[in-house]
Amino acid sequence: MTLLGWVFMACSWFFILALSSFCFYKIFSKKKLD
Amino acid sequence: MAVAGSAVGLGNFLRFPVQVARNGGGAFMIPYFVALLLVGIPLMWVEWTIGRYGGGFEHSTAPGAFHSMWQKNRFIKYFGVIGIFGPLVIMIYYTYIESWTLAYSWFSLTQRYGSALDQEAMQSFLRGFQGLEKNEFFSSMAPAYIFFLITFIVNISVLYKGIKGGIEKFCKVAMPLLLFFAVILAVRVLTLGAVDPSVPENNVINGLGYMWNPDLSLLREGRVWLAATGQIFFTLSVGIGSILTYASYLKKGDDVALSGLSAVSMNEFSEVILAGSIVIPATFVFFGAHAVGAIADSGAFNLAFVTMPLIFQEMPLSRFMGFLWFGLLFLAGVTSSVSLAQPAIAFLEDEFDITREKAVKIFAAVTFLLCNAVIFFLRFGVVDELDFWGGTFCLVLFAAVEVILFGWVFGIDRAWEEVHHGADMRIPRIYKYIIKYVTPAFLLIVLGVWFFQEWIPIIGMETVPAANRPYVFATRVALVALFGVLSIMVKIAWRKRKRGRVS
Repeated sequence: MTLLGWVFMACSWFFILALSSFCFYKIFSKKKLD
Repeated sequence: MAVAGSAVGLGNFLRFPVQVARNGGGAFMIPYFVALLLVGIPLMWVEWTIGRYGGGFEHSTAPGAFHSMWQKNRFIKYFGVIGIFGPLVIMIYYTYIESWTLAYSWFSLTQRYGSALDQEAMQSFLRGFQGLEKNEFFSSMAPAYIFFLITFIVNISVLYKGIKGGIEKFCKVAMPLLLFFAVILAVRVLTLGAVDPSVPENNVINGLGYMWNPDLSLLREGRVWLAATGQIFFTLSVGIGSILTYASYLKKGDDVALSGLSAVSMNEFSEVILAGSIVIPATFVFFGAHAVGAIADSGAFNLAFVTMPLIFQEMPLSRFMGFLWFGLLFLAGVTSSVSLAQPAIAFLEDEFDITREKAVKIFAAVTFLLCNAVIFFLRFGVVDELDFWGGTFCLVLFAAVEVILFGWVFGIDRAWEEVHHGADMRIPRIYKYIIKYVTPAFLLIVLGVWFFQEWIPIIGMETVPAANRPYVFATRVALVALFGVLSIMVKIAWRKRKRGRVS
């Protein structure tokens, strides 16, 4: 695996995990906007 | 939960690895993420919102929802037919592939494939099971047909009980179990190292490299972009019409913004992180780079059926592990296939005022006949043909229509307000411009480039083996006829509705 491959994989995994954490956080701290 | 169930399914664990392998590994992942950000996530919000809006007018399917958004246009409802036609076409072959997971669950428990110890033997086992050849493993298609019948009955039973009674209860148990088990498998695969010491380059790290090393030269090919966009659609269930139907059951004050994004994140976690760490690296470790592409080319869903049984044989409690894995995959498949059936059933219920039970019976009779055609003509490339038109082309076309309708006809300001009714999160403002300009442009460019590069070979069936051409042509005629019948049904339903209003 090339260095670019490692970077690409790490960024993708980070993005997906961050998105999932954000959604979990929002679901468990439910506040309506309006 | 029902939408999450529809999003996480065979698309993640069976179709995704094949698409990665067929489209150059790392070359595929760049368009994949571009399509996720610019098309998948925006369309998730668009489809949830159109569904909830259409539900306010007592329409649960695309023809009615589109008509509610553009009431002055007489023809827009016919574009909505794609939102019933697409899922119906996918359902026809999806149910059969789903039945393979049930069969493999049973074969794991009974160790029916226990004597198949390498790639060739395992492929032979799969071909025998599919009825493509008679061999030492299978002498007829009877086992495949029995498992199909069981799967079909399970699907119809869940549909019969409805969303709350059947689908939601099902998802609450199946989804967490599947994800938990996928984590265990991913850890096992990532710790495999090199299975064959004589070929040390076939190791997990190189397997991950196959999927993640970017190859920029393939980005000029429209085929790779269409495949990546098609996979995003298939896996998120957007551009299909089923999310629109589920969202139509929401109330005006129910959230769509966070729900849509949560379904995306759950799906991507299971697809990219879990499935991406299981099937492709494992296939690479056992068979090498060349075989990954070759097995993927043998069928749109074959890779995991050849690879996974061999991985289980390397694990403790292999019978139980295989049984559980394919069993859970079957449950995930059921949650997705029942969501594919929803638009057609809801269309019959809403527009023809018939009971759910009766609608399910009509649906069951029609799809049973169509599924049989798929089973007996599988060897002639029928599934791949249906997967291309129903599982890729129609999805991109339907999405282009709905996003243009949403951002341009309905109006982006009104649409933006509609998305945020009852929302649990505020969507970044940049997505207002992405939905209006970028998503439609992206979809039209992908369709345009594909049209320019591939239209003539595909229409002329140049890539189809000569022996398969009559069957592929017949499949296309059947698809056109099905679309025609659905369009006529929409016309009848609207005439009936108009007459009802006059009287």
